[in-house]
Formats: sequence, C-alpha cells, structure tokens
Amino acid sequence: MTHQPLLQVKDLHVFYDQIEALRGVSLSVDERAIVTLIGANGAGKSTLLRSISGILRARSGSIKFAGASIEQAPAHLIARTGLAHVPEGRRLFAKLTVDENLRMGAFRRNDRRAIEDDRERLMDMFPRLRERTAQISGTLSGGEQQMVAMARALMSRPRMLLLDEPSMGLSPLMVDFVFDTITKINGEGITILLVEQNASLALQIATSAYVIESGSISLQGSGVSLLHDERVREAYLG
Amino acid sequence: MMTATNVLPERRARWRISFSAATSWVLRISIALILVAGVVGSILKDRYSADQWFDLVAFGITIGSVYALIALGYTMVYGVLRLINFAHGDIMMAGSFAGFFIAASMERSGFLDQHPVLAFAAMLAVAMLVSAGIAVLTERFAYRPFRHVRGLAPLICAIGVSFFLQQSFRGFFGAGLRSYPDPVWLRAPVSLFEFNVPAVQVLVVASAIVVMLVLYLIVHKTKMGTAMRAVSEDVETATLMGIDVNRVVTFTFALGGAVGGVAGVFYGLVFKQVYFFMGFTPGIKAFGAAVLGGIGNVPGAMIGGIFLGICESLAPALLLDGLGIPAPYQMRDLIAFTLLIAVLIFRPYGIFGERLAGKRG
Ligand SMILES: Nc1ncnc2c1ncn2[C@@H]1O[C@H](COP(=O)(O)OP(=O)(O)OP(=O)(O)O)[C@@H](O)[C@H]1O
Ligand SMILES: [Mg+2]
Repeated sequence: MTHQPLLQVKDLHVFYDQIEALRGVSLSVDERAIVTLIGANGAGKSTLLRSISGILRARSGSIKFAGASIEQAPAHLIARTGLAHVPEGRRLFAKLTVDENLRMGAFRRNDRRAIEDDRERLMDMFPRLRERTAQISGTLSGGEQQMVAMARALMSRPRMLLLDEPSMGLSPLMVDFVFDTITKINGEGITILLVEQNASLALQIATSAYVIESGSISLQGSGVSLLHDERVREAYLG
Repeated sequence: MMTATNVLPERRARWRISFSAATSWVLRISIALILVAGVVGSILKDRYSADQWFDLVAFGITIGSVYALIALGYTMVYGVLRLINFAHGDIMMAGSFAGFFIAASMERSGFLDQHPVLAFAAMLAVAMLVSAGIAVLTERFAYRPFRHVRGLAPLICAIGVSFFLQQSFRGFFGAGLRSYPDPVWLRAPVSLFEFNVPAVQVLVVASAIVVMLVLYLIVHKTKMGTAMRAVSEDVETATLMGIDVNRVVTFTFALGGAVGGVAGVFYGLVFKQVYFFMGFTPGIKAFGAAVLGGIGNVPGAMIGGIFLGICESLAPALLLDGLGIPAPYQMRDLIAFTLLIAVLIFRPYGIFGERLAGKRG
C-alpha cells in the first residue's frame, strides 16, 4: 500500500482573467496533520484555499480529496465531501443569529439528535457563544465572530478544515485561544490546512508547512525546520 | 497652479450638492403643503360620512393586502438574486386565470355555492400550483442563463418574459374581459365594528394575513427559509455550507409564485374580472410597495403593500377632493405611482431605511 495523503494538490494554475495568481502549486496534506501555509499579502494563499473548496475554478492541475478528484466539482458538492472552509474575514451571515449561522453549517445534515449534541459540544468549546445564540451575528466582536465561523464549519462534521487567517485582527489573548482551539480540533482527528500571517505560532503547531511566494511554493518542510530557516525568519518572523 | 485647479471642481461639487439639497427640500415642503391643504380642504368640505370613510379604509386594506402578497414575490426574488422579476405581475395574472377556470367549472356544477370552503381552497391550490410552476419555469429557462451577467440584460429579459406571458394568455384565452364567478357566500355583507363590510374583503384580508404569517414562518423558522436569507447575504459562503444555490433560487421562485397565485385569485374576486393585461398595474404597484418597505425585506413588503393600498384608497377622498380636483377616483393609480416616485426620490432604501446587503460574490 502506498501512502495516500487526504488532500493532494498537483500543479495548480489559477487565473483571475489574465493574471496568473497560482503558477503550478503542488501541496499535500496527510490525514490528521496540521499543515501551515505562510506567505506575504497577495502571494495567493486565499486563492489556493478558494480553488480547493471549488469557489474558483483552476485552469489546469488536479485536486484530490479523500481519493476523489474534486477540481471540477461545484463548491456545494465539495463541501458535502467533508471539506469545510472558514473563509478569510469570517464571512458570517451577519443578519442571521449565531444559532442560525450554526444551523447553516449543518445544512446538509438531517440527524437532529446528533446536530443538537454537536451544537452542545461546540458551546463547550466556545463558551462565549452560549449566551449569545440568539444574537444577530453582525453585532458580535471580532473574536466572537471567529468563534462562530469555526463553530459553523465544525457543525458540518468535516474531515478537513481549511482556515484562512483565523487570527486576523484579534487580540493576543484571543489569538492564543484560537490556536489552542485549532490544536484541540486537530486532536479530535480533523485534518487542518491553516493559512496564517502569524507565522511563528502557525509554524509551531504545524506538522508540515509551505511558503508561497507570488503564486508558487518556494519552500516546504516540517513546521520546526521552517521555523528555524534563515529565509523564513528574515521574511516572515521579523 | 496645482492648487487652483484642485480647488475649483471641489467647490463646484459642494455647491451642486447644496443646490440639490435645496431643491429636494423645496420639493419636500411643497409636497407637505399640498398634503395639508388637501386634507384640510377635504375635512372642511365634509362630504363623506363615517360609513364612507370606513369603506375607503376597508377597501384600502383589502387591496393593500393583495399588493402585499404580490410584493412578497418581488422582494424575495430580489433578496436572493438581486433581480427585479418584472414578470411577477403576470405570474399573478396566471394564478388569477387558473383560479377563474376552476371556479367557473365549479360554478357550472353548483359546487361553488354548495361547498364554499372546499371551493375556495381548490381555487387557491390550483392558482398557487400554476403560478409557482410558471415562476419556476421562468427562472429556469429565462433567468438562469443570465445569472452571472451584469448590466441591463437580465432586466430586459424579465420585461420580455412579462410580454411573453401576457401574449401567451391573450393568444390562448382571448383579449376580452371575463367576469370572475361571484359565489353567493361572498355577496353577503359582514358587520364589523358596527359597519358593513363586503364578505369578499373580510375573506381576502383574513386569508392574506394567514398566508403572510405562514410565509414569515417559512422564511424565518425553516431550514430552507434560513438558507434563502443566507444566500441573500452571501452566495459564496452559502455554497461553502453545502447549500445548493440553484435549489434555493427555485424554492424562492416557487414560494413567491405561489403567494402571487393567491394574490391573483384575490384580485379576481375583488375586481370580479380577469384579462391578460390585469397583472401589469398591480405588478408595478406591488413592486413600488416592495421598494417602499425596503426591497429584500419580507416584513417591509407586507407593510409597504398595505400602506400603498390605504394611501391610494384614501387619497382621492382625503386629498384630491380637498384640492378641488374633479373625478378624484380616476386618479388612484396616479396616487400610487406618485408615491412610488416620491419614495425613490426621498427614500431610495425604503421607509425603513434599510440598506441592501452589500456585496455579492
Ligand atoms: N477577485 C480577484 N480578481 C482579481 N485579482 C484577484 C482577485 N482576488 C485576488 N486577486 C489577486 O490574486 C493575488 C493573490 O491574492 P490572494 O487573495 O490569494 O492573496 P493572499 O495570499 O490571500 O493575500 P492576503 O494575505 O492579503 O490575504 C493578488 O495579487 C490579488 O490581487
Ligand atoms: Mg488572503
């Protein structure tokens, strides 16, 4: 038996009109790993995640998730295969309540009892949401919104989570909480592909990591090795 | 040099803003003066009895709830697609025809008069099915190809669909007016607060309230309704939840169409006639009502519709008569459209001032 990664991206080329945002990106994520992707603004991190979850269509290249080719599949079907994407900027349904957002996360599920159980577990994981379930989510603080965004994604019982800059705009305390939560989620067996500006923390929790520059992968290795890499230290750890 | 060229256009811009603000205030004040003068004039003339005022208000609420039902279709479709479904008035017309044919056949067999509840339910059910079906087909074949097209093309297509439906009905069923069946159970007046109200009006308002309540519950308490609101806010994120946007859009058209079909039957019952062009005017008015309530806003459409109905029913007596305008009742439609224009000028986001959900993926 050859070893099969859970997610495998091969030679992906993605364009916005004429501009090539991804120039042959390859990356693989093993089951139960935390893989971190770092890179400067505009390097193509979000573009990669959006291509994986099917919002953007790649011009060429392949994406395999759990053994199936998904590069041609529509986004809502990809979401149903167990891939949950927490987008950059959280993108809550701002006019919906926290609870309604969570229920949208569980849109594809019909197991009422288990949905209730999951909701309860997530309230334990994010205690600050418990007393805010009826609040219109647009009125939550940034940290609370990030919790809802993650909880909403987890409501689908995903096999893998794509996290796009979950610590963006959060206080140091909240950043620590988010990273602790990511480790905890991963401990429950959920595979994670994490995009982060906060390179130091993201590399510390990573099993393996990639650096993306102008649409190409420029470096890859274990989290620790990149953490100590001269080029990474200079460019991303300041 | 640099500063001089920079300052000049800025000043001009500021002056232009204050000029438009000034004209807008002049407009506002003159409208207010006309309103006050008309109302005072009408009250001084004292031409109407309490009974007549009550009739006008009751009729306004009746026709207003029909507008509200139609407006819901506009507002829901706009909410999920940012498309003004200009054919929606004609979808209502289709429902009116469907209800008419069922009612006419039941009238011939005597069923209509013998079983009011069943007959009424049958009319509504068939009208809802037909209108929902046409709405869904319209979306699938006329609007979906334009889903990601920017600019005026989708709107022009919607206008084309409107003509298509009108001319189809004209082709199949003729251009003449047909009078809607008038069962005995709708003729007797009902007494309400010591006033007499035609039974039709009581039935229409009561059923419209039930329909709106059910619709509100669907939109706010069911999974599909919540998905509709989610898609309306952010299509892209909705798909990330595994929501099939096409299904949500189909559901929205079906729901809006069904409610439009109910409105068609009510419109037929109130005005006692059907014809191929009947959807046009109430359609545009209901669109105005949806804008009045803030398009995309479900409770807003309900309130906007009823408000518009009361305005156009009361305004001839309360306003135009006082201004000494002859034949004020011919000007109902004018009132409705003036109101629509005024809303667009002064409150383009509707009376509730709610802004449209910002971006769309
Ligand atoms: N919708 C779009 N249309 C055109 N170009 C785009 C679009 N979205 C992104 N780009 C371009 O593609 C490139 C990659 O953008 P992307 O959002 O993937 O960067 P990123 O690595 O996520 O950056 P950040 O850290 O700022 O989020 C950038 O040059 C950006 O300007
Ligand atoms: Mg990004």
